[in-house]
Amino acid sequence: MIRVLRGMDWILLAAIISLAVLGLVTLYAAVHQGDAGLWQKQFTFWGIGFIAFLILCFVPLRLLGLISWPFYALALLLLVLVPLVGDVQMGARRWLNLGIVNLQPSELMKWALMLILASWFATREANSLRDIAVALMLAVVPAALIVNQPDLGTTLVLLFAATSLLIAAGLPWRWFGIAVIAAIGSLPALWHFMHDYQKQRVLTLLDPQSDPLGAGYHVIQSTIAIGSGGLTGKGFLQGTQGRLHFLPEQHTDFIFAVLAEEGGFIAVMLLLLLYTILITRMLMISNRAHSRFASLICIGVASIFMLYITVNIGMVSGMFPVVGLPLPFISYGGSAMVTMLAALGLVMRVSIESKDRIPWQRPGSPLA
Amino acid sequence: MHKQQLESRQRFDVRMLFFYAAAPVLLGLLAMHVLQLQWLEHEKLALQADHNRLNIVPVLPVRGEIVDRHGKGLAVNRIAYQVQLIPERVKDLDVTLTMLAEMLQWSPRKLDHIHKRIKRSRPDRPILLDDKLLWQQVSPIAARLHHLPGVDVEAGSYRQYPYANLTSHLIGYLSLASKSDTDAGFLANEFIGRTGVEKSYEDLLHGSLGYQQEEVDAHGRRIAVTKRTPPAMGERLRLALDAEVQQAAAAALGDRTGAVVVMDIHSGEVITLLSQPGYDTNRFITGLESEQWQAWLDNIENPLLNRATQAAYPPASTFKVITGLAGLKAGAHLATGHTTCPGYLELADRKMRCWKRTGHGKVSMYDALIRSCDVYFYKLGDQLGMETISDAALAWGLGEKTGIDLSPESRGVIPAQRPYMMAAMKSESSKRKKWFRGETMIASIGQGALTATPLQIARMVAAVANGGRVLKPQLLAGVEAEILHHVEVDPKHLKSIQKAMRGVVEKPFGTAHRALANADWTVAGKTGTAQVIKMSQDDEKKGYSPDQVLRRHQDHAWFMGYAPYENPKVAIAVFVEHGGHGGSDAAPVAAAVIKALAAQEEKQQVAGL
Repeated sequence: MIRVLRGMDWILLAAIISLAVLGLVTLYAAVHQGDAGLWQKQFTFWGIGFIAFLILCFVPLRLLGLISWPFYALALLLLVLVPLVGDVQMGARRWLNLGIVNLQPSELMKWALMLILASWFATREANSLRDIAVALMLAVVPAALIVNQPDLGTTLVLLFAATSLLIAAGLPWRWFGIAVIAAIGSLPALWHFMHDYQKQRVLTLLDPQSDPLGAGYHVIQSTIAIGSGGLTGKGFLQGTQGRLHFLPEQHTDFIFAVLAEEGGFIAVMLLLLLYTILITRMLMISNRAHSRFASLICIGVASIFMLYITVNIGMVSGMFPVVGLPLPFISYGGSAMVTMLAALGLVMRVSIESKDRIPWQRPGSPLA
Repeated sequence: MHKQQLESRQRFDVRMLFFYAAAPVLLGLLAMHVLQLQWLEHEKLALQADHNRLNIVPVLPVRGEIVDRHGKGLAVNRIAYQVQLIPERVKDLDVTLTMLAEMLQWSPRKLDHIHKRIKRSRPDRPILLDDKLLWQQVSPIAARLHHLPGVDVEAGSYRQYPYANLTSHLIGYLSLASKSDTDAGFLANEFIGRTGVEKSYEDLLHGSLGYQQEEVDAHGRRIAVTKRTPPAMGERLRLALDAEVQQAAAAALGDRTGAVVVMDIHSGEVITLLSQPGYDTNRFITGLESEQWQAWLDNIENPLLNRATQAAYPPASTFKVITGLAGLKAGAHLATGHTTCPGYLELADRKMRCWKRTGHGKVSMYDALIRSCDVYFYKLGDQLGMETISDAALAWGLGEKTGIDLSPESRGVIPAQRPYMMAAMKSESSKRKKWFRGETMIASIGQGALTATPLQIARMVAAVANGGRVLKPQLLAGVEAEILHHVEVDPKHLKSIQKAMRGVVEKPFGTAHRALANADWTVAGKTGTAQVIKMSQDDEKKGYSPDQVLRRHQDHAWFMGYAPYENPKVAIAVFVEHGGHGGSDAAPVAAAVIKALAAQEEKQQVAGL
């Protein structure tokens, strides 16, 4: 217990709690006119997520390394089950009904993949073709299953997490370059396999005004919301775009627009600053981690957060196509909240275990 | 091995730098993009946000009401309710419409029509289902609105004419703005005056649009009114008309076609302006069916024609007053002398008849007016010549538009105005026809080429009563009298004519004695019976019944007069189309009008006390 308290990264914790406060305030603005019960639910999710965070602070990393393979296998099994017995919601088959909870196996898979890749590269560098091929297989198989659900956002997360870990694990740059060229080359094929609505989203991004009442509506309205907020914002609960329901999905994926409209650029800067602290702090923990496995876990978590933030804000402000990724800690949603806090629990555990120990392979470390 | 491991860590540290840099770079890019939106494009996007949420909605003005001189409503606004529906907010369209159909008692055909309309309309805009509803009809719906999502009951106003048939030509009607109106800036759902007072005083009555800035949500629902420029209500017009007198005139005319005009001889105020038959102007408001319009157009009684101002008829013997005045002014020796009426006048090989076949014997102008002797006026007219008679007619306000605020208006025909007639008269060669002496003689008894509208006749007799002031007929109450021209007339001459006109009523042998001797006021006047000379051979071809043809060949009956004789207040003109004789058919209408006028005056005096 004392070890946990001593090893805790208080700045990281402070950033998390600040984001919690900012998130709840923003969510209140988004839902106060509609279903205010959502706000209380989100508060509960925070509680559950924080408990998960605390529990993971006590789970030894060694244990995580051990369970990473069975965990991955379980996640993959569930993912295979989805097309067979899954529920369809909003045109996509993503959920498994387990009686009590509706589970989204793709959500589990993100963290399982991150763990297993960290564990895979804990003892080897990504410079042999065989090792990289295994890592790619581990990522591509679930990604292929998920893209068919269809769920472009999660697929993107899986591929991005795998890429990040490969780079961190020492993937030679030229190979990375080849992969990027290959990826660009395969874009027409990808286009061919995309669903119509996904194609539409890409087209809409290129020219939102082409369909102002249809697919472009979301982006136009969120852009108007952000821009009309100006530098100082319209004031708490004063945003007209949100209050009058011009903003779609304003409590989930598009909540950034509510924040930007009511809080202006000041609030946006505050949010981005908190995110920068959060990610930098995770990277700093990674830097002083006592094992390569621990370092890679931190990098994996940090990259997934980075992707979420970038894609979400980019989408809401009209830079990227509409891809359904939540804004961490701000968007409404239980499972994302709990898993993200649990992931931060992992990072915090790294911080706790690495306290007063020499980073791996540094001069003076036991391994060195 | 040791070295290799160190290299591995070094490589990792280098890669870490990449990750360290990634967060600020990516988030910095996002921040710059957001800054662009919130700073550089702020004004444009803020405008768009306002455009999103703020609707500028025009607010229709309430049209000014039209009342009679005692404040009785002639054109009023009534509250009506309408039921609207926004299809996309309705849960079950069929159930909802069936419920509404039951409550509003729609016919299956109407329900079907509404279904079709909804199908081809935008689902996010309100669709008008039913309007002109009373509160009793919509209150069950209003009470159940929360069970009927998407349905809305709105209040509005519509025009109503309490005396629609009685005042149809005077008040006129409205209809929805046409293409040319919307081009002139009116909204498509505004009503514009088309005829009568509603048209003439459109500018006063209409009022001006107000505007309302409304905040709406993404579904178009009104959340709040943020700004409001109220509409300016149209002015309330008080007409000089007395609805009760008009009603009495209509009752006296009964189902006969014709016109009655009553004018204040001092101010020119039009107290009655009736044209029979009328038509139901209320039907225009609910959207006139084309069959009804066609039926009115085809009706041989031509209800759409305003007989008081738009139709000119031969004034017949009422015109003898003008011929008499012209004779006195010109100093014609017959004007102060006598002649003998044997019942006819021989002119070349023709015999021009007096209406009394047995003749009037020895007559002066006084007698000739009272008994309406034609032969006397043939001779007087012959002495004067057509030009002198025409000049007198023009001087007394015939042959010109009266200037009443009702258009279009007929000006009638006075031969002097027609160049070909004048040319013919001066014996100059005219291709058209030659003017015969006989024509002048016919014109001097108000037949033939001469025509006048009942309003012109009323104004002419008003001028006779008020000493020669030809007034502009005023529709509005309390406006100042407008004298268009002053007739140069010797008061002595005028007095002798007035005396003769009094004789028409007072003397037992006067043509209007029977009808008006016992009227409530002392009346001076002149009857007229216009021969319907042109027998239209087409009448039977047009499919009129023999009864109608017979009626159409009857003479027109005229009466004009003023009262009270000692202290004249009003001038009256009665015209009964194919009515028969002036004394027996038109004068009784005047008696009824005077009775109503006297009753109204008494009522005012009682109220005044």
